[in-house]
Amino acid sequence: MSDIHCYGQCLKSWAPFVALFVVMSIALIAVSLILSNPRKRLQLFVFAQSSGILSIALTYYIMECSEMLSLYLYSAYLLFSTLMIFGMLRYYDHIIIRNLGAKPADSILDWTQEFVDMLTSAKLYYFDSAIPRAFASGRSIFISVGLLEMLDDDELKAVLAHEAWHIKHNSGMPFMKQLALMAFSSSSDPELERMADHFAAQIAGSEALSSARDKVDKVFI
Amino acid sequence: MVKLDQINISNDGLTKFFSPIEAAILRALWAEGEMTTSELTGKTKIPLTSVAGTLDRLVKAGYTTRRTEKVNGRVRFMYEPVFSEEEAANEITTKILDSLVETFGPLAVENFSKYSDKK
Repeated sequence: MSDIHCYGQCLKSWAPFVALFVVMSIALIAVSLILSNPRKRLQLFVFAQSSGILSIALTYYIMECSEMLSLYLYSAYLLFSTLMIFGMLRYYDHIIIRNLGAKPADSILDWTQEFVDMLTSAKLYYFDSAIPRAFASGRSIFISVGLLEMLDDDELKAVLAHEAWHIKHNSGMPFMKQLALMAFSSSSDPELERMADHFAAQIAGSEALSSARDKVDKVFI
Repeated sequence: MVKLDQINISNDGLTKFFSPIEAAILRALWAEGEMTTSELTGKTKIPLTSVAGTLDRLVKAGYTTRRTEKVNGRVRFMYEPVFSEEEAANEITTKILDSLVETFGPLAVENFSKYSDKK
């Protein structure tokens, strides 16, 4: 408590300035979560982080009475931002659902969710795009209508099994790789893809898998 | 309603205002009214890999709408043009005339009247 009292004493005229920085960085982080453009979101997030660090540095240098509280502040900031990043990884699929306007796939093809349930615990979504795409994030699998249009049931099973394998093994995914995925930079490991394909071939048959691969020349991650 | 980002007067026909693939898709939709993705690729003879991204763009830009249908257990998109050919032509000419008058003022108007006298 004496520390906080000291803050009031030492910062005085500077206090609104520091408060502005703190409020700004929190607001920026909030905005960065809403943005749909992944690159802009990441840029804004970095900007918000820098502004947060700057506000702590400012506080530290402007006031000289209590170094302890500044240290606590800094630790709290570190904890908060780390939690934010991990939280974002954990709930990133929810952000994708909102950005893509994805809807549960069982509302359009009822057998698909049941099929995924047999393989792993994940929710299957479809989204409005003509470009054939499928990918997994968190505990969700996403398929575009373009993909549903071009694949028959067996080929679709192969794709779903491939993505289900990714979900099963997502928990073991290194942290940095998940971060790279968040920024949508290409980070698919050929070894992981090979293993996912192996699993897909076991479930849906290698014929269905290779014909799905032939149809979709864009590799599904 | 029509967004015109780029105009290339040296191109032919609709490709002055649209990319060749966009123009082919719009022409097909104006001719047929409603089409599925495979009908579109068949009619325009452009592979799906090239058409898919363009279709997403046309929907986003508001030139076409699409709805998801389920036929015999298969999911498909059904595309429809938002504007008729006449509406699009009307909108494009208005936009271009507006921009000419905005840039060149009375001179542009004078040339229009000369042009209609010649016709």
